[in-house]
Amino acid sequence: MTLLDALDGQEYIIKQINTDDEELNAFLFSLGCYVGEPVTVVSHLKGGCVVSIKDGRYNIDNQLASAVEI
Amino acid sequence: MRIALTGNPNSGKTTMYNALTGRNEKVGNWAGVTVEKKEHHIKKAYCSGTEDLIAVDLPGAYSMSPFTSEESITSSYVKHEHPDAIINIVDATNLSRSLFFTTQLLELGIPVVVALNKSDINAKKQTVIDVASLSAKLGCPVVETVSTAAEGLKAVVDAAVAQSGKIQRAPYVQGDIDLTDKKVVEEADRKRFAFVNSLVSQVEKRKVLTKNKGTGDAIDAVLTNKFLGIPIFAVVMFLVFQISQVWVGPLIADTLVAWIETFQGYVGEVLLADANPLLTALLADGIIGGVGAVVGFLPLVMIMYFLIALLEDCGYMSRVSVVLDPIFKKVGLSGKSVIPFVIGTGCAIPGVMASRTIRNERERRATAMLTPFMPCGAKIPVIALFAGAFFDDAGWVSFLMYFTGIVLIFLGALLVNKIAGYKNRKSFFIIELPEYKVPSLWFAFKAMCARGWAYIVKAATIILLCNTAVQIMQTFNWSFQVAETADSSILASIAHPFAYLLVPIVGVLSWQLAAAAVTGFIAKENVVGTLAVCFVGLENLIDTDALEMMEGAGAEVAGVIAITKVAALAYLMFNLYTPPCFAAIGAMNSEMKSAKWLWGGIGLQLGTGYTVGFLVYQIGTLITTGSIGAGFVPGLIAVIVFAAILVWLCLKADKDLKQEYALNGARA
Repeated sequence: MTLLDALDGQEYIIKQINTDDEELNAFLFSLGCYVGEPVTVVSHLKGGCVVSIKDGRYNIDNQLASAVEI
Repeated sequence: MRIALTGNPNSGKTTMYNALTGRNEKVGNWAGVTVEKKEHHIKKAYCSGTEDLIAVDLPGAYSMSPFTSEESITSSYVKHEHPDAIINIVDATNLSRSLFFTTQLLELGIPVVVALNKSDINAKKQTVIDVASLSAKLGCPVVETVSTAAEGLKAVVDAAVAQSGKIQRAPYVQGDIDLTDKKVVEEADRKRFAFVNSLVSQVEKRKVLTKNKGTGDAIDAVLTNKFLGIPIFAVVMFLVFQISQVWVGPLIADTLVAWIETFQGYVGEVLLADANPLLTALLADGIIGGVGAVVGFLPLVMIMYFLIALLEDCGYMSRVSVVLDPIFKKVGLSGKSVIPFVIGTGCAIPGVMASRTIRNERERRATAMLTPFMPCGAKIPVIALFAGAFFDDAGWVSFLMYFTGIVLIFLGALLVNKIAGYKNRKSFFIIELPEYKVPSLWFAFKAMCARGWAYIVKAATIILLCNTAVQIMQTFNWSFQVAETADSSILASIAHPFAYLLVPIVGVLSWQLAAAAVTGFIAKENVVGTLAVCFVGLENLIDTDALEMMEGAGAEVAGVIAITKVAALAYLMFNLYTPPCFAAIGAMNSEMKSAKWLWGGIGLQLGTGYTVGFLVYQIGTLITTGSIGAGFVPGLIAVIVFAAILVWLCLKADKDLKQEYALNGARA
């Protein structure tokens, strides 16, 4: 499943990230978003969702949410 | 010695820089406010020794490998410019992410001091960090700071000075790895994060876990709500304009204008009572009248700056990006484009520069190109002048100008999409949501004063110069004798050819309006100043009554310009949506980094301004008088040519795209 299907407030472990964009992957990495790390969806919105990675809050769009497998 | 301030975006670097140096650089509560390097001497109060200390403020970065262009400024500066010490500002509320960058900085060998910033928020959340242990584990001094309250700054600077000259020992060494091998690098970075994770678990104790919902999330649920998000943003922006331009701004402006008027009268009648009438005209009417007309609108602009600074400080900007991303995505922009547009309502130059944080090149260029459609602070006097002179100060004029600006941004974005060949390519959106905070009135006040001061300086330099030149040029003829009528002056003869171009928009051949539009490219306030100087008898009226046209004075101003209301509206819109001032065009150039895009942008703005002006005048005239206005045919030809170019560009882009897909098909 991907972050799109994640339940609000539950912690998941990232299994894979498929963005086809090396730079973006590296960027996500520097935020602490990489395979093996925990991620929590705080809430789902219209065009995306709010996620908690390490101690930061981010908004990502549905495209990116669907690229993160958990 | 030079001390570089580095750290993650939105960790408070510029706030600390401002406190250390006494400067007034732009701060805001979102990631990516600072996009350029800045340096200045540190205040003596923070230096213990006699040595001169220079602080270098750098854009935020999450790691040494740059993601956006502003991040690369940071990594190349610390790698190649050899600062004497680095103050690494660490967001204490997000230690687990921030220390990744810290461990990279520690490997450079340059002495590092960690400023554990936002420690006040940690105290509130009952998060405890063992500073002594962290310092021992990192091998560098760690000082708790609150840069918004200027706490702990002296200790940080002292520590940096004490460390200088030493060689930094790194707690974690990556070792010799092949940096070109992606897998190896990722493996090394994972180890680094593992090191950081174990370190954080030893020094940090949290009561409130970030993954759990907090009050911030409750606010988010409302502000980014599916149905409420956009209406809330609309109401917020409406209030900003209503307060600055209708409720509060004009009240203060009236007082200011009265002072300027008194001063002008005093200079004209008392000081220069026996002076040469030419000199009197130059000083009283040209300089004080023209510049005064511009300065009179200062309160409106300053209050707007104040309100926008409050918005920027509270953390709302990132949420607006989130709300608007789905819509902006449809027209090929990014949710982040909204930040440049909102900043652009203050001034297009920082607005255009703010587009740098948008990573996708096409989205970034399109944003830089479209930001000037948002009427900026310099255009407020122009709007207010016309609203006062022709429309009885009606609030709808100002509202319509901003609304049209927004519509043009959307239409422009669609066009850019068509022409630049929008491929339904993946463009991921991610934005950090900073914690909300109560906006600081003091910061907003400082931001307002800085911008207000810049406005005054501009009025006292560029606009003063332009007005003087305009006054002289319209006083003399080419043989440098006093022109008998203004129509035979130097200015009239220069502006005359341009006046023909404006006929389809204003309906009359007026070299004064043409001159004002042309000087507007130097600075938009010049439109007001030039009109004040050019129209004999108008300058006094603008000064005293432009904001509150009483007892038919408004009609008098309109009478002097001698154009219809419809033409006034058309001329106003032409001035707002044509290319911005030269300074803003320069900013567009540096963000677009492409001559093709720059000229495309200027062409689009010129065409749009002309077309909007033409349509408003001709359609408006048709409705009000029943017949089309003057200059319809030549104007129509110009607009058709513009449209034809656009259609041709769209078709060409379509064709190119098809060819590209055909090639792809052949390869597959």
